[in-house]
Amino acid sequence: MSMFREFLIIAFLVLLGAGYSLISGLSPLPWTEPELAPGEIRLSDARVLEVIWVDARSKIDYEAGHISGAVLLNEDDWDGGLRRLMEVLMVAPRPLIIYCSEAGGETSKRVAKRLRQDLINTEIYTLKESWAGWTK
Amino acid sequence: MDKIKTSPLLLLIARLVLAGIFTIAALSKIQAPIVFANSIVAFHVIGPELSKWVALLLPWLELVTALGLLVPWLRRSSGLCISLMLIVFIGLHTRAWIYGLDINCGCFGKEAAAQEFKYFWLIFRNCGLLVACAYLYISDSRNDRLIKQFKA
Repeated sequence: MSMFREFLIIAFLVLLGAGYSLISGLSPLPWTEPELAPGEIRLSDARVLEVIWVDARSKIDYEAGHISGAVLLNEDDWDGGLRRLMEVLMVAPRPLIIYCSEAGGETSKRVAKRLRQDLINTEIYTLKESWAGWTK
Repeated sequence: MDKIKTSPLLLLIARLVLAGIFTIAALSKIQAPIVFANSIVAFHVIGPELSKWVALLLPWLELVTALGLLVPWLRRSSGLCISLMLIVFIGLHTRAWIYGLDINCGCFGKEAAAQEFKYFWLIFRNCGLLVACAYLYISDSRNDRLIKQFKA
């Protein structure tokens, strides 16, 4: 079989697979508007990554319950939180995922924006579903 | 090219290792295309729009060519595709290393390690796979040529 035919078969199978991804919902349609705002990540995607969770809620909420291993970093005690985060980050650098208690995640977006200025080379995301999505 | 000695066992091992690695890499990316698209964007080579297409098509190309390595009438073109992908990956990782980007390579969905070691290991691994791929391609081309000569 000629190489050209082999490439055609490969291209056909790739398109077939991509079609399956789209039809089954594994992949979003590439030409549609993203469901996620820039810098946001879904909980289902976050779960498959090795990350550092950053809890941007208040200390009271954090003590009442948080994602295992999450670092408390909120606007009330920024320097203390940043110090705790750096201790974890220095041991094993990983992407950061920030969550808060609000549905829109406004607090986590503010914290992410501030963190991106302090930690230029670190991947930083905000959790789309926030804390409510985690506890469902 | 004909001077390279080929052992059937070594060829089989190289084929299975390449097919296995690319299958595992493809499946993890097919299951989490958005994570992969984010990883692509982090390389700062293509934009978010194009990255969604790459995240949709590239894992399937990896899977088809990985399985194609095990199919006699598809193995040469599959080997060539995998070689080209590896050359692109090596180039991208080298560029990211030079620019000091702290990225998740996205190769297997999740990977985390110290940056220097990460890039060194990624490039070293891909170079090793590229050598294995070239070895397979050369021996497969020679076999095909011998078969043609025998039939003639």
